[in-house]
Amino acid sequence: MIVEIFNNFPYIFRPSLLLLFLTITVLFLTWLERKTLAKIQMRMGPMFVGFHGTLQPIADAIKLALKEDILPLWSNKQIYWFAPIAVFVPAFLIWVTLPISNVFVVRNLELGLFYIVSISVLSVLGMVLAGWSSANKYAFLGGVRAAGQLISYEIPFIMAILSIAMISKSLNLITIVENQSSFPNILVQPIGALIFFLSGLAEIGRTPFDIHHAESEVAGGPFIEYSGAHWSVFFLAEYINTFTVAALVVLLYFGGWNWPTMPFEGNTHSFLSALWFLFKCYLVVLLIFWIRGTSPRLRIDQLMSFCWKLLAPLSFANIIVTGFILYYKLPWVILSVSSILLLIVALYFIRKKTNTSPQKTIKLYSANELRAAGKNNSGLETNND
Amino acid sequence: MITMNGKKMQFSNISTDINLDNLENQDSLDVIVNMGPQHPSTHGVFRLVLWIDGEIITKAEPHIGYLHRGSEKLCESELYSQVISLFDRIDYLANLNMELGFCAAVEKLMEIDIPDRAWYIRTILCELNRIASHLLFYGVFGLDAGAMTPVLYGFRDREKIQSVFESVTGARMMHNFIRIGGLKEDVGNDFKKDVTKLLSTLKTSIDECDELLSGNEVFLARTKGIGTIERQTALDYGLSGPTLRGSGIPEDIRISDPYGIYDRFDFKIPVGTVGDSWDRYYVRVEEMRQSISIIEQALAQMDEGPILGNVRRLIKPPKGEVYTRTETPRGDFGVFLVSDGSDKPYRVKVRAPSFSNLLALTKMLENSYVADSVVILGSLDIVMGEVDR
Amino acid sequence: MIKLIKGLIITLSTALRSPVTGEYPMPEKRIPVKNKFMGFPALTYDFEIDEPFCTGCMVCIRNCPTSCMSANMKDNEKFTENKSSRKKIIDTFEINLGRCILCGICVDVCNFDAIEMSHEHERSKFERNANRVNLPELIKMGVKYQQKINWSPKQEKNRGTPKKPKTSNENNGNLT
Repeated sequence: MIVEIFNNFPYIFRPSLLLLFLTITVLFLTWLERKTLAKIQMRMGPMFVGFHGTLQPIADAIKLALKEDILPLWSNKQIYWFAPIAVFVPAFLIWVTLPISNVFVVRNLELGLFYIVSISVLSVLGMVLAGWSSANKYAFLGGVRAAGQLISYEIPFIMAILSIAMISKSLNLITIVENQSSFPNILVQPIGALIFFLSGLAEIGRTPFDIHHAESEVAGGPFIEYSGAHWSVFFLAEYINTFTVAALVVLLYFGGWNWPTMPFEGNTHSFLSALWFLFKCYLVVLLIFWIRGTSPRLRIDQLMSFCWKLLAPLSFANIIVTGFILYYKLPWVILSVSSILLLIVALYFIRKKTNTSPQKTIKLYSANELRAAGKNNSGLETNND
Repeated sequence: MITMNGKKMQFSNISTDINLDNLENQDSLDVIVNMGPQHPSTHGVFRLVLWIDGEIITKAEPHIGYLHRGSEKLCESELYSQVISLFDRIDYLANLNMELGFCAAVEKLMEIDIPDRAWYIRTILCELNRIASHLLFYGVFGLDAGAMTPVLYGFRDREKIQSVFESVTGARMMHNFIRIGGLKEDVGNDFKKDVTKLLSTLKTSIDECDELLSGNEVFLARTKGIGTIERQTALDYGLSGPTLRGSGIPEDIRISDPYGIYDRFDFKIPVGTVGDSWDRYYVRVEEMRQSISIIEQALAQMDEGPILGNVRRLIKPPKGEVYTRTETPRGDFGVFLVSDGSDKPYRVKVRAPSFSNLLALTKMLENSYVADSVVILGSLDIVMGEVDR
Repeated sequence: MIKLIKGLIITLSTALRSPVTGEYPMPEKRIPVKNKFMGFPALTYDFEIDEPFCTGCMVCIRNCPTSCMSANMKDNEKFTENKSSRKKIIDTFEINLGRCILCGICVDVCNFDAIEMSHEHERSKFERNANRVNLPELIKMGVKYQQKINWSPKQEKNRGTPKKPKTSNENNGNLT
């Protein structure tokens, strides 16, 4: 029934449906993130508004809408008000072509992946504008960090997408998903999935790559001066982006809405596929939140070297290997084996880079020995070797 | 002149620092950033002025004094028994250690014999407070490095310690429990049981905390080799406590100048070798385990007995002056006390370890990243209440 | 990478445990205070004689580090009627709880077990000086505390039951 309603919905009003869907998703995601982190940290999270705080996001939204919009004295007014829109619109536009199931899509574009890549680059503009116009050095530092980070991570992000496009021989997302009906792409592209997921995390600024709004360093980064509704627009965009990355991971690597077997036909099947797809998306989102609850954040130079020295070369190597195998029409097994080999190389380099045994630098001195040494020499300088 | 729409570029307050009209004549184009006094990671009201060139700090200048409460002067107008409640508030994360520092000074001046049981209870409580303080450091250091879960794990375990404090002293932070000559009152019957139970949970949870953060590759990358301070430099700056031990000097007041009953325990002193943020962090983690072993030994040796030495209610030390050192979680805590024979101290001078440790910050921050400044400051484990007093 | 995955497993294992926090404003779900908890000071009440324990000796006021208390005493009518052993009784008592630092010195120095650190701690007010409490309020806090922990005076001599009129001199001599 829902499918029929959607199909009969006029095209011109479909974006409003999309906006509704995304808003509800974001409200749910804020609640989910707070609850997940609370669980990890052995807290309860929101408990008062509604059953286990389910209505908390709505209360928050009302609070944010009613708050005063503060304009810093030195700020560049026009750009300051424009920046949240510049962040939100690209985040929203990506969803025009993202299919939730083979029927639930606003407009299925043939060049869907290309469109997504080109739109996703735009969001950096809003960050830089927000940081620049806020008249705050922390915001500016955050904006510059965001520019460097987002532009750098575009490269492995796009390269990972490209390898999927090569395998599927299409840029249409529905075609890409339908090509995965026999096996999901993760089996032939594990390294691509890893690169895509990590650079996706960096694109949306999630831990461990959340340096551009690091609370402990730049105290919120580009959003530091914003308040009320404009601040909430930034966060709306951030959560939409989180969900976008999760959806893209599922679409490109985990077989989208493909059921292992097909229990139903027709509209029921489409509806159930959409639910299956959303379930997968939420699993990836939970993984993102889980990582946020565990990992510290990287420093900007480490972030950059991670991108340019590891992810970018690996993604290029992945493209070359994939192209080679596809050109000579070798079996899929070889592609997956070579991809796993690349993955092992990647893990080896990560491990080599960070292989430092923690306890090695700490020595334990026994108190009795120190006392004996102290009695003999009676001095600090003489016995500390 | 850079203009936009005919106006001078409205480029935030940065334009007040850099004169855009003659860029050639400027000494440096560094941007001045005020970190603090209101910044999430300055551990209180601490202001750090950073000259940054991109992401690199070229110069750093700490400003202190935002939390100055005049504790030392205030002590001169209070009775000796009232001063203890002021000392509670000097280092508000290790209250019992602070109380012990002052009481030890008065007791040394008055030459009071403290009953053994009082010393054992004092030791147990102080070591518990050391663990609580280090747990908070653990959490906050994780937060400085960008991880958000360690702080709640640290608080979770600290909370357990505080609830033991609550059932023993009646307060969770400002105890006013250690008195000149002994303790305020005896501990309850289930003190031993409570502490034993607490220790067994602490052991597992400290291991859990350690496992979560210490080995993490991102954390190692953030702390290894950051803010290194050489052994000789550490001595020159007068560092103390875990900050000094991280630089490779096995110096601990509990051993080198033992007070109380610390010479009865066998424990180990963790000492770093490199002197970077990681060493300072891990020395503290290891110290928590050593404190647990001290408490276990103290619980085993503890006997029944009186808890207050032979002191009158109105304390009047003889004329004279005294200096005592105790090992607080932050280092060598010294109290210099001058008495003129009246019931109020003539002068109290506190040698705060945080203050001396903070001096080394400028040196450590040279040519580090902005993100590292937070980690380095966190690794010093300063408490502004103690720095400014 | 390996340690990061170990960390993920630890966070997962804590996520499966029950939370350690309570829900604060709900009386049944919050974490209760311990019996020894020191909240704001309160005056205890002698139910046997129906008067407060406090005789207004001002010892707590002189020992308070922040000078947050003030008190006046008066002659006890019940002593003249031989209903009580207290010659003097508290007339007015005021504590500025905004200044109180909960040090417990007043309880230590009190010879009559008249002041106790109650379990009262949620007394925030909007004005700086609004948190002053007078004698009836202090006794109300004290009675609440006494009933909660089943309080009785630490020293038996502080009970206000009047001595037998004839032998009162002997008893007093023994006690002092």
